[in-house]
Amino acid sequence: MSLAMTLAMRGLSLLGVLLAVLVLLVVVLGATGFSDGILKAVVNEDIRAMRTGLAQTIRDPDDLEFALDAQRAELERFYGLDEPWYQRLPDMVRRVITLDLGEARTLRTFEGSAHVLSLVMERLPYTVLLLTSSMAITAVLGLLIGVKLATMVGSKLDRIVSYASAVSYALPAWWAGILLILLLAFQLRWLPAGGLYSSPPPEAGLERFLDLLWHAVLPVLTLVIVSLGSWTYTVRTMVLNTAQEFFVTVARAKGLPEGQVMRRYILRVAAPPIATNLVLGLAASLGGAILTETVFNWPGMGRLYYEAILGADESVIVALTFMFTLLYVAARFLLEVLYIVLDPRIRYSER
Amino acid sequence: MSGREILRVLLGSWSGRTGVLFLAVLVFVSLAVVIVLPLNFGSQRWNNPAEWADNPKAAAPGWTTLWPGNDAASHRIFDSSIPREITQVGPSQQRTYAFDLDYDGGALPTFMSFALSDVRFASQPPQISVEVLRPDGRSIQLYRDVVRGPRPGEQPPYARHFDEPLRINLSGSRETLESAARFLGREFDVQSTAKELAGKAEQVVFGTPTSANLDGFTPLAGRYRFEVQVLAASPGDTIGGVKLVLAGTTFGFMGTDATGRDLALGLLFGFPVALTIGLVTSLLVTTIGTFMGIVSGFLGGKTDLGIQRFSDIWSNIPLLPVLIFLIFVLGQRLWLVVVIMILFGWPGLAIVVRSMVLQIRSGQLVEATRALGASRLRIMFRHILFQIAPFVFAQMIFFTPAAILAEAGLSFLGLGDPSIPTWGQILESGFRTSAVYLGYWWWILPPGILIVITAMTFVLLTLGLEPVINPRLRRAR
Repeated sequence: MSLAMTLAMRGLSLLGVLLAVLVLLVVVLGATGFSDGILKAVVNEDIRAMRTGLAQTIRDPDDLEFALDAQRAELERFYGLDEPWYQRLPDMVRRVITLDLGEARTLRTFEGSAHVLSLVMERLPYTVLLLTSSMAITAVLGLLIGVKLATMVGSKLDRIVSYASAVSYALPAWWAGILLILLLAFQLRWLPAGGLYSSPPPEAGLERFLDLLWHAVLPVLTLVIVSLGSWTYTVRTMVLNTAQEFFVTVARAKGLPEGQVMRRYILRVAAPPIATNLVLGLAASLGGAILTETVFNWPGMGRLYYEAILGADESVIVALTFMFTLLYVAARFLLEVLYIVLDPRIRYSER
Repeated sequence: MSGREILRVLLGSWSGRTGVLFLAVLVFVSLAVVIVLPLNFGSQRWNNPAEWADNPKAAAPGWTTLWPGNDAASHRIFDSSIPREITQVGPSQQRTYAFDLDYDGGALPTFMSFALSDVRFASQPPQISVEVLRPDGRSIQLYRDVVRGPRPGEQPPYARHFDEPLRINLSGSRETLESAARFLGREFDVQSTAKELAGKAEQVVFGTPTSANLDGFTPLAGRYRFEVQVLAASPGDTIGGVKLVLAGTTFGFMGTDATGRDLALGLLFGFPVALTIGLVTSLLVTTIGTFMGIVSGFLGGKTDLGIQRFSDIWSNIPLLPVLIFLIFVLGQRLWLVVVIMILFGWPGLAIVVRSMVLQIRSGQLVEATRALGASRLRIMFRHILFQIAPFVFAQMIFFTPAAILAEAGLSFLGLGDPSIPTWGQILESGFRTSAVYLGYWWWILPPGILIVITAMTFVLLTLGLEPVINPRLRRAR
């Protein structure tokens, strides 16, 4: 199998994931009548826009209603509301993919738009910011500590990290977040408890940016704390496994300096599985972000999820479910590419 | 490896022993709760505001009073069905129920309430009054009323408040406040109206005004006597019980939430629920996953390809977003959460089991059994299953906290089953009503700690089971 072929196969499988979620979404929506509700909302919205337009030209209220009813019937036919739900599935799939899901019931963007697409797109950067920054910090710290730990197996620190790794599996990030809020924001008053900016928010420029960073400290800290233990432990174990291979012994026997052995012989080989774990961790923390953002009132897609549930905003929930799956699939695909870049065995094997 | 050997390995390590101990406690508490509390506790009691009306709202646990410098009033309930004194007044009977309270001059009760239950009378409805005799000899009337008389066409004996007691919140009642205003005017020459006294009923009852305007009250320490007088027209009239509640600033062992619910009960009920969610989900995930994995690996061919393609896709679907969507659309039912977690959980295990089966299948044991003429079913579910059983068992333990945490997360987002209280839901209600910002730590910390401890129990068990999983098999992953 060639390189492109391998990548294509994995891509296809991940596309299958996306497709499976899409089908699940539209079938469940259709069978439960939710898609009817969403489409009717779209129709109502069109009619409302039309009413203001037509009111300029048609003066007589009865004529206006008649014209609008005719329009409504046509729109319902256009959207397929006169057909059973399973005939509308392809159209619904297209709608979900393009997030063309009409307007949110109560949620609004910062500018006041209720459009689902702009609502989700507005929140996306905040989620990505939170996830990538916490992931980057965790990755760097975990690599540094993990590599160090692999050289001191059995030490006190090593045991502490292995326990921390076990605890972090049982410690939900959102709960840790609440603890940190209670401790750092309310008890010690060191950090803001949540939100994006102080109130009133700083005008613009550097000050505003610093304020944003200041508010990001606690959520990022939480995500780092809950994932650092297991991540460090993973790095340590991977490095340790590789360090026991014969070629490492040979490298040492050749008298190579320890730093070079670590970089060129151990880390280079341990890199692919470490990267796998990193991206898998990122994908898993996507779900966690829904809860963490809720706790910290961080206006990303996760917080939007919570608000949509509170307000029973079905279109937004559909859009977010799809977006989270899309992000997940994208992260996984990134992993595949990364794997090929890092692991020469895949690149060169089938030439 | 036999069951006994697994147990020996488990008890051989520190983490295994701790895990077993924790699990024993969890199981014991769960069993006790299932025996003591009714199964419909959630819908019948937990979510029934009348059940908790007499409790103080958002009160800290009772033991917080043990902290030095923490001044708190404890929650007092006076409940009686037998009058302390009966005197004959003409043809009528005057029955007195009396309760004594020692007030130390510290924190005041947060509210006073009075309840009357199961009144039965033959002709004339009884008169009820509640009065406080203060240590300074003064007395103040808190309540006075006549039980509702016969309706037209109703036949004696007349029964009142028999299925639900009559409950009066004295602190918020207009009559009580008016009576308090009269009391201040009569005894201390302080003129006031019921409106001005709103929220100050306890200060009037348990103190003396410091000035002519209602600026402050000096607490009056000493013994207070609360008297409930019932004037019954005939000796055959009965009163089921009278109850006087002086709500404290603290309550019970775990405190209360903003609606007065006893958090200790809700937390206790969470034990069996969490264990059931975790164990049922993990048991079924492992059963289905193992079955499909063995079938896929052993049979091979199209079956294998089908199961593996399906599992590849299905196991990569992110659980929480899909769970949120499905529960939101299909309804907030706990069994649905469990079913969805099972549906999305088994394929991951099936992939791992298959890779192990592939290795065992080509081994000598299977070859020998096949040569002896064993059927495929027998090989699959006796010889192969037996070899991977320890691994499967460890996987089951490993998957349990994931299910518990997923349910807790879902509940925290407000998608919990409203008829079954869980730790996640208690946390959610606290978070939604900003208990975090108000500093109601007793509402926020215990449910989270219990979630973590329960999940931790299974993590410890997994650690203890590590040696059980044959390293050769583990490498096959």
